[in-house]
Amino acid sequence: MCLGLVSRFTIRILGLAFLMFFLAHIPSAFALTEEENNNIDLYQRLAPGVVNITSTIIEHDFFLNVIPRKGTGSGSVIDSRGYILTNNHVIGDGKLEVTLANGKKYTARLIGTDPDTDLAVVKIDAPKETLAVIPMGDSASLKVGQKAIAIGNPFGLGQTLTTGVVSSVGRTMRAENGTLVEDIIQTDASINPGNSGGPLIDSSGNLIGIATAIFSPTGASVGIGFAIPVNTAKRIVDELIAKGYYSYPFLGATLMNLFPDIAEALRLPVRMGAMVIETTPGGPADQGGLKGGNRKAQIGNNVVIVGGDVILSVNDVQVKDADGAIREIRKLHPGDKIQLGIVRWDGTSEKLTVTLGEKPRSVKSRQPKTGER
Amino acid sequence: MVLPFTFLFFASAFRGRVIAAFLLIYIAAAHSNVSALTPEEITTIRAYEKVAPSVVNITTHVCEAEFFFCAVPSIIGSGSGVVLKENGLIMTNSHVVAEARNIRVTTSDGRRLEARVISVDPDDDLALMKVDVGDKPLKAIVLGDSDTLRVGQRVLAVGNPFGLGQTLTSGIISMTGRTIKDQGRVFQNLIQTDAPINPGNSGGALINLDGELVGLCTAILSPTGSSIRIGFALPAARIKAAVPELMHPWHRIAGWVLAILLAVWVFRRIYRRQGRQYDEQTRDS
Repeated sequence: MCLGLVSRFTIRILGLAFLMFFLAHIPSAFALTEEENNNIDLYQRLAPGVVNITSTIIEHDFFLNVIPRKGTGSGSVIDSRGYILTNNHVIGDGKLEVTLANGKKYTARLIGTDPDTDLAVVKIDAPKETLAVIPMGDSASLKVGQKAIAIGNPFGLGQTLTTGVVSSVGRTMRAENGTLVEDIIQTDASINPGNSGGPLIDSSGNLIGIATAIFSPTGASVGIGFAIPVNTAKRIVDELIAKGYYSYPFLGATLMNLFPDIAEALRLPVRMGAMVIETTPGGPADQGGLKGGNRKAQIGNNVVIVGGDVILSVNDVQVKDADGAIREIRKLHPGDKIQLGIVRWDGTSEKLTVTLGEKPRSVKSRQPKTGER
Repeated sequence: MVLPFTFLFFASAFRGRVIAAFLLIYIAAAHSNVSALTPEEITTIRAYEKVAPSVVNITTHVCEAEFFFCAVPSIIGSGSGVVLKENGLIMTNSHVVAEARNIRVTTSDGRRLEARVISVDPDDDLALMKVDVGDKPLKAIVLGDSDTLRVGQRVLAVGNPFGLGQTLTSGIISMTGRTIKDQGRVFQNLIQTDAPINPGNSGGALINLDGELVGLCTAILSPTGSSIRIGFALPAARIKAAVPELMHPWHRIAGWVLAILLAVWVFRRIYRRQGRQYDEQTRDS
């Protein structure tokens, strides 16, 4: 009897305890949606991997007073040794200071830059345990509509999380030196000045892009942000760390888009292709027998340098314009032999074999429409 | 065919390594997060993929008279539109096609088609266009129910902001039943959303997560002219109501003509009766 009472009492106590347990825990478990928990988890996991970068340039005013000018950006830790991936335009020429999520400041060393893709790697000597490495994902399998999270330092405010979706993939963009950057990711996660160089992350916490540019008439986010795909970064980062630069293949020819109306006016047997304007004397194209233009002609409202060869294919892949030819050549490495299918000024077609050189690092494209490789 | 192969496989000296490799690949696949998407993302992706072929980009050329009254066909505007019927019937905002001389529609599969405006309703800011689709029909959008929308519900906007090309933006319904005034016109019962809507999104689709059209992106409130996340969309109910009228604009004209005829007839009867009474009165006196 007594035992029975005790057991009933125990059962009640236990029941009450269970009830209290559930009352205490169910609301907190259900108060946040799965989506919110995902965001919170990602932020807590990856925030230590996102750094704020301040670049200070010392300038002098008219009376030679020293004026430090600061630019801010963001970066993501890609290696536990302290390598940080960011944008080339964040680095500038100044002294670099990196602030970690825990507030500690480090002086950073520039490791390598690639102005063609607007990427750069800097290094800090921070202890391993204070850094969280952001794993690199795959930007080729991205789908429009999937979540995109940006962590960065907008307007120098400090670490900020913004969310959105992938708005579009495969956009193209010109880097500051006029080079075409492809497969750009567009997102509606708010990206503002200062977010540059920061990571764009998917819902699994993998780096999918490097927030680089925005489209905006006002200078602040209007819901259209662009990120350089991580696959581009993966291709060049190791070489940036090892050598300080990425060696692009070099053809040594300035190319121009051949439009149908120009081709018609020049009585060429083709309609589309990459027309050679000039070749670098002694460069790979020159040695391979590719000929540049030698006279000027006015076609419509444009003055065009004509007389050069027209590239129709690179390694048997058809190219429609200068960017197409550059895209094909970019896939290769310095030292590779390529076969160019060309049409000469007099209409004869030919196949040339050219050994690609290494792009001189000071060469910059002169015009947006004209690529010099 | 299979049997000898399996036999060979199990007999081969490398089977241990092969099995180990397969196991490793399996484990790696099970633990990799590369393609793991949340249910929310899968819903969004599916909704976008459902409507993407039904949203078109619109480019307009406006003829402007320059100082010496020579026509300069230079100004290019951009907008969006939704496909209502597979035969190429496209709905957009009337302000997208207003004063446009040359309207070109780019479909999501990359075709460029000339569009012809069928009718315009500036009061509702709606316009109906027709493109010649040839033998490849477009995919028509599914019209949803805009009356059951609730504030806080997720919506997606698909359009062509600043002429960049097809773009998806996401947000929620900020409010329903908004009334806004624009240049003397009053638009009632609009949907307000915080999905970024920019110039060029006009005429684009606002969809729910089932991929159904709930609104047509029409206006924004902004001191700068670009999105500050206050956008307005015409509800789908308005579109449903306007389509028959826009498709047969002569119905409205016929209605007016009939009404005028009726009025004339009524007035004539009244005056004739009055005239007769007057005549009778004068004859009596």
